[in-house]
Amino acid sequence: MKNIINILTSALFAAFLLIFTAAFVLTPDADFSEEENRSLTTFPKFTWERLLDGSFSSDINEYFADQFPARDMLVGIKGVTETLLLKGENNGVLLGEGGQLAVRLFDAYKSRLERTPDMDYYYTENIAVSVDALNAFAQSSDVPVTTMFPPRTVDITSSVSDYPTEISDALDVQLAETIVPEAGYIADLRKRMEDLYSHGEYVYFRTDHHWTTYGAYHAYILLMHEWGMEDGILPPEAFTVEKIENFYGTTWSRAGYKFVGPDTLEIWSPGNEDDFTTTCYTEKQVKGEDGKPTVVREVSKSFSGWLNREYLTRKDKYAAFLDGTHNEQTVFHNTETGRPRLLIAKDSFANTMVPFLAQHFDLVIVNLAGRMTDLTEYVEEYGCDRVLIVWNRANLIENNILAAIK
Amino acid sequence: MVFSSLLFLFAYLPVTLALYYLIPNTRYRNWVLFIVSLLFYGWGEPLYILVMLASITEAYVFGFFIARHRDANPGRARLYLVLSLGMNLAALLFFKYANFFIENLRLIPFLTDVIAPVEGLKLPIGISFYTFQIMSYTIDLYRRQTDVQKNFVAFGTYVTLFPQLIAGPIVRYRDVDDQLMTRTETFDLFASGVRRFTVGLSKKVLLGDAAAACYEYFKASDAFADSTAGAWMVMIFYTLHIYYDFSGYSDMAIGLGRMIGFRFLENFDYPYIAESITEFWRRWHMSLGTWFKEYVYIPLGGNRAGKWKQYRNIAVVWLLTGFWHGANWNYILWGVYFGLILMAEKTFLLGVLKKLPAFVRHLYALLLIGFGWIIFSFTDASAGLSCFASLFGIGTGTFCTPTVGYQIVRALPLLIIGAVGATPLPKKLWDKFCTVDWTGIGAIRGNGIEEPIRMEKSALSVRGKIFAVLTTAGTLGLLTVCTAYLVDSTFSPFLYFIF
Repeated sequence: MKNIINILTSALFAAFLLIFTAAFVLTPDADFSEEENRSLTTFPKFTWERLLDGSFSSDINEYFADQFPARDMLVGIKGVTETLLLKGENNGVLLGEGGQLAVRLFDAYKSRLERTPDMDYYYTENIAVSVDALNAFAQSSDVPVTTMFPPRTVDITSSVSDYPTEISDALDVQLAETIVPEAGYIADLRKRMEDLYSHGEYVYFRTDHHWTTYGAYHAYILLMHEWGMEDGILPPEAFTVEKIENFYGTTWSRAGYKFVGPDTLEIWSPGNEDDFTTTCYTEKQVKGEDGKPTVVREVSKSFSGWLNREYLTRKDKYAAFLDGTHNEQTVFHNTETGRPRLLIAKDSFANTMVPFLAQHFDLVIVNLAGRMTDLTEYVEEYGCDRVLIVWNRANLIENNILAAIK
Repeated sequence: MVFSSLLFLFAYLPVTLALYYLIPNTRYRNWVLFIVSLLFYGWGEPLYILVMLASITEAYVFGFFIARHRDANPGRARLYLVLSLGMNLAALLFFKYANFFIENLRLIPFLTDVIAPVEGLKLPIGISFYTFQIMSYTIDLYRRQTDVQKNFVAFGTYVTLFPQLIAGPIVRYRDVDDQLMTRTETFDLFASGVRRFTVGLSKKVLLGDAAAACYEYFKASDAFADSTAGAWMVMIFYTLHIYYDFSGYSDMAIGLGRMIGFRFLENFDYPYIAESITEFWRRWHMSLGTWFKEYVYIPLGGNRAGKWKQYRNIAVVWLLTGFWHGANWNYILWGVYFGLILMAEKTFLLGVLKKLPAFVRHLYALLLIGFGWIIFSFTDASAGLSCFASLFGIGTGTFCTPTVGYQIVRALPLLIIGAVGATPLPKKLWDKFCTVDWTGIGAIRGNGIEEPIRMEKSALSVRGKIFAVLTTAGTLGLLTVCTAYLVDSTFSPFLYFIF
């Protein structure tokens, strides 16, 4: 029995390869990862063409990574290793004090095309065209417009992270300087959230990119002041708070920091939810009487209040608000008529504001992210008295959907 | 296919090793290696497999001609040598350099419309490496330094052997010819291969890719144009990236070779501890340096044909070395840059350096190496120049922006690990543990190529056993961590693919 250790090393190496390989072959493929909240790559389609142009090979690599046995555990091992290497982030997600996760600003520089001579803007094209469209819309709109660009987590968490704020600050400057007064831009939203956060208020989730219900409440207060309705602000005591534990958000899924604990999702209930009905609409193309295709709007879903409680038991708990993503929804009071109407053109940040705003307005809610951008048409059709735009900064920077509003 | 992929580790490698060890003798094992190596190559380059097979067949056939005539009719043998080399080089020139020449010729006004680039031409992976391997066979044969290989599969195995096929080391035929037909696989060799492969994989995945991400960040963000510190980071992280990437790949190749009974020569010898550029090039990509020395520099007369001819020879070798790395002007410039430094060192610089303190010599060498990597990494000359200028604060607005500063702080541990890891210190510590005479008979020896780590169970002391167990556990631990990185990462570029 010589060199036992070398035999052992050889055997363990062979076992290492074989165990993973066997597990890979034997375990059935999954289509969806609950933990990561995304579809997984399944076995790619083989054609000779795809082999020759290399797309088959690259798909196979993705397939291996997505379907690899013990994937979740291995992802966690990488997260721990990166932490031990003191990198402070993993997969582009910053790990701040107290397990605060925040997507860092990778794309910021990329979208910077040129520096203007007098101002060092970090962001240009998407923001410039979006602001142009916003300005034009606000100046031509018959009803007052209010605009909110909810900050990203990284914009407000400087108190727990050493990530520099220069890029966030530059965006503030650029927006404040280029948006016309008619757009009703709420410029101090970021500062308010940052102040609250640095004082330990739970206004943003640790594991999700959204603000919390409490954060949304503060956004609501700012809005009410902006609209001169501060006397009507409902105090926190007007709500009963229900806590939903074990909420792991989108940032957590991306980060791979499995040791970071869950968030608590709060449901603020004013007690009169049942007086409201949420109706969701879809648009469908059908053949009209003359044979031409016409777009017909039909009700796809309707429920009492504004919550779909089914989601509270799943991973994607935030989708409980307004039943997740719908392109067009209304939240109307069942009996009161003649309430003022508010058109909200939004992304998901607005969903948590609905319980508050519904106390004062009938709401018409259109999803900007789904390219519902013809706001003038909605204002006319529903007879809205106000427009509120809620578009988070990540969206503002990464796409130019807002540039299509009219 | 690359070694640092899940597909290689958990599909290709287990199947290859299983087939290899299920087959009883070396002759048939070569068949296994030849076929799986072709699959390895064909996975990424299904069509260019034919180019490679043509080159192999040509060299194999001409080998017979050269061997037959080299004693009786040297002129004839010489003719076959030139023909064979010509065909090999023609393939390399066409696939790698044709469009470079055409693009540059088109800059001459009246030629612009006369010639057009060859469309759809992409570089066959590894062609620079296997062409040089094939040429080493043909030339050694002509020089009577080796015998003709009659077995086509054995010759094909030599050229296509998957560990070194696509990124070296460039194995000379005469270094492995006897291993092709007779080699002994042992647990000692296999286990030392496992350890070497694990080290290489870790260097590539944990350090090389991480350094690449930092480099990409500083480069893509134009941080180097804004801040002096950013430009230094571009240089430093490229320096780390290319070393860990390339030497890691060589380690993996050497380790995989050992797993199937081959012993390849080393390719890197801590290049960044060099005290001069002359020394750096004796330590960096040694198999390429040896190749050029053996097959270009010495045949041209080396340093024995007078001073001026020696300078000419250095110039030729470095022009070619630069050009070998890629069909672009920056690589040529890079070669010329080192050629000039080497000439200066030969003339007077080495003498001057000798009188200076060691840290100055290190600083001198590292800076020149780093500047070289800037030339190497920027195919766009104006961006390269701007980065170079930024190193000295020319054209940068500030020394360091907060964002660049953040990035530097978070990359600092990586930088320190990378810097220490590029010195012989870790190896020295390892050897120290290995050579401690725990057993009373010095049973655990160094991890050198002829003496893979070896431990006699009966003689192991308790400490020796603990060390042995820790080594094994560490190997498996690193493999697991690397697997984790591969599962969670899509960012794993491999640099030397483009050569």
